[in-house]
Amino acid sequence: MERFIDLALSAVLLAGLYATMAYGLGIIYGVLRVVNLAHGGVIMMGAYMGWVLHRKLGVDPYLSIPIVVAASYLLGVAMYRVLVRHLPRGAAGGPASLLLLFGFWLVLRNGAYLLFTGDDQSITTAWSTSSVVVLGSQLSVSRLAVLAIGSVIPVGLHLFLHRTHLGRAIRAVAQNPDSCTLVGVDVERIYGITFGIGTALAGVAGLLSATLFAFNPGSGSSELLKSFVVVVLGGMGSVPGTGLAALILAVVEVFAILVLPSYLTSAVGFVMLVLVLVIRPGGLFGHRVLG
Amino acid sequence: MRSRIRGLAPTPILAGFLLTGAALAVLPLVLELSIYTHNLMTLTFLSVAGALAWNWMGGFLGQVSFGHAATFGVGGFVAARIVLWAPVPAPLAWLVGGLVAGVFALGAHPALRLRGPYFSIATIGLGEATRLLFTYWEDFTGGSSGLSLPIETALKHRLYWWGLGLVVLVTAASWLIRRSGLGLQLLAIKADVDAAADLGVSATFYQDLMIALSGAVVGVTGGMWASYFSFIEPNDMFGFDRSIGFVLMAVIGGVGTVLGPLLGAVVFVLLRQYLLASYPQLYLGVYGLLLIFIILFEPLGLTGLLRRLWQRLSALRGKV
Repeated sequence: MERFIDLALSAVLLAGLYATMAYGLGIIYGVLRVVNLAHGGVIMMGAYMGWVLHRKLGVDPYLSIPIVVAASYLLGVAMYRVLVRHLPRGAAGGPASLLLLFGFWLVLRNGAYLLFTGDDQSITTAWSTSSVVVLGSQLSVSRLAVLAIGSVIPVGLHLFLHRTHLGRAIRAVAQNPDSCTLVGVDVERIYGITFGIGTALAGVAGLLSATLFAFNPGSGSSELLKSFVVVVLGGMGSVPGTGLAALILAVVEVFAILVLPSYLTSAVGFVMLVLVLVIRPGGLFGHRVLG
Repeated sequence: MRSRIRGLAPTPILAGFLLTGAALAVLPLVLELSIYTHNLMTLTFLSVAGALAWNWMGGFLGQVSFGHAATFGVGGFVAARIVLWAPVPAPLAWLVGGLVAGVFALGAHPALRLRGPYFSIATIGLGEATRLLFTYWEDFTGGSSGLSLPIETALKHRLYWWGLGLVVLVTAASWLIRRSGLGLQLLAIKADVDAAADLGVSATFYQDLMIALSGAVVGVTGGMWASYFSFIEPNDMFGFDRSIGFVLMAVIGGVGTVLGPLLGAVVFVLLRQYLLASYPQLYLGVYGLLLIFIILFEPLGLTGLLRRLWQRLSALRGKV
């Protein structure tokens, strides 16, 4: 029973991180209909940004969030302006956008290898090892912090999308870009901003995960896949759905430890991805995205 | 549309192809090739065959797979196990490896319901799950320490011709597929699955057929690879980088064209050899930039460039 509570709590803590990762991928897909295959690369970049700020300048990882957000946002806007904007839209652009963004991911990885070598890194602060007792389980402070930030972000995102003028414009473009042009919304600008928001979320997710796990320039593919599982499971673009889906993935992954050898637990996400795509391509709660 | 497809294989290209094949076949007999060149050419042949087969899925059907390493690995390990288990001739082991890989590839059947990016991302998941399973299945693959095969120098030398033969076979098959009614049906499925279905083209059947054929050929190259290196290891055979290799070769050469992947694979192998020797630190980035530039400026890769050059030349000749 104690073990059960332990696992359940650690699943909840992990869910915050997964949700943050997934929002970044989901919002870009929801509005632009482009799967950002460089998502894992941006997550990796966010981790290195936090690491550099902490290691070289002594900035606390949680205080460096605004810097990472701003830098990743600018990176995303630049990615949109320089690369994604030139792709054909719609179904024909599918494979092209995947390959293009995959190429960008390779460039990011190579850049990170050149700058930081291939060694494993992690961000360790004074409280990385400290913990508090909740419901009789030891919980690490940094995991709690990640959960807290991972819960604030979706709430903020939801409010932004529903209460601000810009957020409404983004949702309108997601529904019908052509009508938006008619009523005077600058669709290109909205696309750029959305791509920026998506990469900013990925950057923060990278920073947060760097405070928990080791990373190197090659990491990112499992993060990409996990984000994708969550986005598909949550039904593209729904903020509460994404949160719940993140929790489901985290629970399944964490409890898989009980029945599977630890080596195979990382395959759980991949298998879930395929199962979800095949059995419920519209997600558990959302609309169908097939076709 | 029809005339363009039918006109894709003019006689001069066919003659050039046969001549090149024959020349390559006698090359090691006439010239004293260094072992390095001989081996590099063998590996190039294997890559060319794999890239052409990937293109049946990714190019002809438009289902871009990021998971072909799964069939490469299955073919390689099945062939290796057969060689270790019974004294059968290696080509038979490769063939069985290829067949098993083809059947294994059908495991991706449910994912075929997905289109575009969904299919591609599902293949990443399938490929990685396969890699983890086979790395874990130590009784069969030897786990992370891999499998060692008896070293056969003569076989390694002969693989040059086996590889070349496979290339000729696969190129001819690509040609036939493209020029036949099957090729037209594949094009229709690629352009619009639903419309193709309305016209009575069974998308599911042809997709299964192509995924099995493509997987089988890649599996055969995996088996040959195992014989060539006499050592295989699951994390390398099933690695994501290997899946990416197939994509890169086809994209560099020209996705969906008949001869593009052949060109692309040659360029890919030579470029990799050069980069790994001289600038290993820029290896990934160069491929990344290549992908970006190709997609942005010439989606048909080298084939597209050559076509443009040809048109420019014809225009010049027309003026004179």
